[in-house]
Amino acid sequence: MSAYLDTRVSLYAGRLWPDDALTALIEAPEGTVAERLIGHGLPQLATGYDRASGAQDPRSLEQRIIAQILDETRVLVRPQSGAARAFLTFWTARFEMSNVKTMLRSKMTNERPAAILARLIPMGTFGRLDNQDLAHAEDIGELLRRLEAGPYAGIVRRARRAFEQSRDPFSLDAALDRGYYEGLVQRAQPLEEAVGAPFRSLMANLIDRINLVWLLRYRFNYGLPPAEVYYLLVASHYNLSGARLRDLAAQDSLEAVLAALPAAWQARLAGATDVPDVFARMEHVAAEQALRVLRSRAPGIARAFAYLILRERDLRAVRAVLRGRHLGLPDDDIRLALRRAPAELN
Amino acid sequence: MLRAEPLLRIQLLVLASEAQDAALALARFGVFNPAPCRETALAESPAAAYREAWLEAEARLSKLQEECGDTGPLNLPADAEAPSLADLQELNHWLKEVWKDCLDCHGNEARIEDARSHLGTLEDTLAKLEGLNVNLAYLLRPDSLLSASIGSLPGAELKRVTEALSMTGYLVSRFDQAGEQVFAVIAGPRSRRNEVRGLLAQAGWRELPVPDELRTHPQAARAWLEAERMRLNMQTGAACQVRDGLREQFGPRLHEARLRLALARPLAEAAQAGILGRGGLAALSGWIPRRQLDELRETLDARLHGRYWLDPRELTAGDAAEVPSLVRYPGWLKPFVPLVKSYGVPRYGEFDPALPFAVTYLLLFGAMFGDIGHGAAILLLALAFARRLGQMVWIGVAAGAVSMLFGFFYGSVFGYEDIVSPRWLSPLHDPIRVLTIAVTFGVSFIVFTLLVNVRNKWAAGRGGEALFDSSGLAGLAFYLGAVGVLASLAGVADVAQTAWILAGLGIAGVAAFKWHETRAGLGERMLVTFIETLETAINLFSNTLSFMRVAAFSLNHVALALAVFTLAHGLGMVGHGVTLVLGNIVIIVLEGGIVAIQALRLMYYEGFSRFFSGDGREFVPLRIEKA
Repeated sequence: MSAYLDTRVSLYAGRLWPDDALTALIEAPEGTVAERLIGHGLPQLATGYDRASGAQDPRSLEQRIIAQILDETRVLVRPQSGAARAFLTFWTARFEMSNVKTMLRSKMTNERPAAILARLIPMGTFGRLDNQDLAHAEDIGELLRRLEAGPYAGIVRRARRAFEQSRDPFSLDAALDRGYYEGLVQRAQPLEEAVGAPFRSLMANLIDRINLVWLLRYRFNYGLPPAEVYYLLVASHYNLSGARLRDLAAQDSLEAVLAALPAAWQARLAGATDVPDVFARMEHVAAEQALRVLRSRAPGIARAFAYLILRERDLRAVRAVLRGRHLGLPDDDIRLALRRAPAELN
Repeated sequence: MLRAEPLLRIQLLVLASEAQDAALALARFGVFNPAPCRETALAESPAAAYREAWLEAEARLSKLQEECGDTGPLNLPADAEAPSLADLQELNHWLKEVWKDCLDCHGNEARIEDARSHLGTLEDTLAKLEGLNVNLAYLLRPDSLLSASIGSLPGAELKRVTEALSMTGYLVSRFDQAGEQVFAVIAGPRSRRNEVRGLLAQAGWRELPVPDELRTHPQAARAWLEAERMRLNMQTGAACQVRDGLREQFGPRLHEARLRLALARPLAEAAQAGILGRGGLAALSGWIPRRQLDELRETLDARLHGRYWLDPRELTAGDAAEVPSLVRYPGWLKPFVPLVKSYGVPRYGEFDPALPFAVTYLLLFGAMFGDIGHGAAILLLALAFARRLGQMVWIGVAAGAVSMLFGFFYGSVFGYEDIVSPRWLSPLHDPIRVLTIAVTFGVSFIVFTLLVNVRNKWAAGRGGEALFDSSGLAGLAFYLGAVGVLASLAGVADVAQTAWILAGLGIAGVAAFKWHETRAGLGERMLVTFIETLETAINLFSNTLSFMRVAAFSLNHVALALAVFTLAHGLGMVGHGVTLVLGNIVIIVLEGGIVAIQALRLMYYEGFSRFFSGDGREFVPLRIEKA
């Protein structure tokens, strides 16, 4: 199975988008976009550009991108078992978390079930929630109770408690995000022990980046006090330890936070002036590391995870390009958006 | 042979205000499979709001049904009409109100339960704090420089909260635990109280209200707690009259709601497939059996009195992938159909394998598990569990009967070979003959599947594949030729020369077809052609050998029985009897199960995979009751 997985990942790696291919997509004539997308294994995104087939896809671009990611993840999950399978399956659960957030927000605004259902991401075989049933919950209280009886009970219970105390939608989102990533860290631990450095480096880049970006956002965009900011971060054992995060959360400005980072990080983030810039630079570093793991002889699960990280980054960039083209933005603006792609797909 | 019924695609144009009655009439008609409407000129979705209201109402009703338990059969009058959109929305609104009352009751109950649990905790806390000799009145003073509070939080959060609070000079002291909740005192500078408020809310911190009574004399505190407990008990009794009296209060109206929602179901279900419309008209599309077109007209006339336009259309090539397959199976064959459909649904016009499946499956099972006693046991067990097995009981009965029949052929009764003399052959004494028969059966079966595949491909308009592919006529010629060559070499027949020519022509045809079909460079094309042609030969050879397992299992059955007898002979009288009984149970359960799976495996992989793509659509008629 490992030979199969290695071969499959290597074949998939050929679908990644080098920077020049993205640049070419920005400048490509309308008639050649579909061909370029299909060439990089994105037939689901080509619908609408492929005038010859005349096919229409009722799903949004976002939904199609996630469907593409789920399709590829399904292929990579198939030959896995045990901890590796559990990890990759849970990796897809963040889309379901996004569905949970959508439903919770919609219930707060008394949206109708049909409208809610139309906005949810189709999870296919990875779906563990009964969306029909949940969307028909009468109010947020019933929805939370139903969610607590489901597969994400632990994460939702924490969010419900936070929400009950504060009645603040932010509490729900923050608790769900934190609960999800702590679950991911937990599922990664047996793999870090079995696979070692390549896998751990990918997780470290992911969780450290999330923690730093959240820290900056909560502290300086939302103005939360340091203790609360620290509490909302993901508990982890990577480069930014608990003590370091407490120290960073206590700083008074973005510059002071960057200055308090380890030396290697300071070099990477020198000159960064805002949170999206910090995110983009850290994502670039994470992508380089993922590429190193992908091209190495690391175990299959590490290479598969590296591929998925890179693929998702690519798809965000492709989305930015397609949206930019759709809106008729100048090429330079689209290029700028590529450097500032948002952190989460949802 | 079983064939899918010839279907017609119909488009029914009705007034949008009568769409629900038209859909109800189609559901009563019983053989209308809705399909998406393709009329591009119709841009509206006149039934979308109806479906939305129905889904909401149905969800609420099913939740209410869980509370009041109204799940009996529905008696729908033949002349009952489907509710209009306005009726449905009104019904939905009423169900919403009832369910909200019910939810309030649940909420109240949960709150009372919560309060009761907290009261108990408070009592324990009081006992602990008394033991600690802490002056609560002093500790919780609102004008002190120290801000302290007593409360609980999830145990998993304690470490994180302690670390976070330490950033603001606060301390956490845990003093008790109940379940996953940890009870603690949090204390720190009052000036920084605002900084920790948000954090505590995020962490799910629940402050224990410590009333003044608790801060004074323990006896007064106990009296206060007792009074609170009594108050909560009284609240519990009166908490939920709506829910408790749901059946009595709303029973008849809820039953009426159930009835009306059942009548509304057809339009809601048809709307899922896609109903389009424009300017007060609605178009329902779908499939019906061609021979029932006149019957449909009569049904519609009776309900809509001519206020409709029915447009029946013949199938076109573009419909091929969408047409559902409607096959009417005789009653005795129906139990086998789920086993066929667990592999896949035959496409419209494709050969339906249910009948050969049933016959061959039973033959294979009987051949591998031929024993009068064991067969009788399976038959009786199936009858004993008839209620649980449903219609699957007939598979058990038939398998038991065929097993008994082969038991007569083999002369085997519970493994004893000397009670009944074999009417045909004894696997143990004539294994080579058994192997030869099994392989011969395999050859016949594979030839049959190849012929079916040729027929399917031809019917689907894929003549090239029917004639030249590895599972087509060329593959069949190669296979028959190869079998002829092997038979000649074994001295069974003398057709070597003809067989060589037939096999050569066949494999050459397959290779030429593969070459023609491969779109690649010269080298890759040669490689693909070579490998796929070779694969054709290997597959057919290995598939044939696969049938040797039929002989192997028939021998295995005898061998297992011999093993049981050998064990039993070494024991005393009681041990002998117990071993025989247990051994036979093991044979029936273990070997019977394995043989049942092996027979299914042979059907699926050596049979179905050759001619049956299984990606057809099942004919799912519109119905009033939930499927």
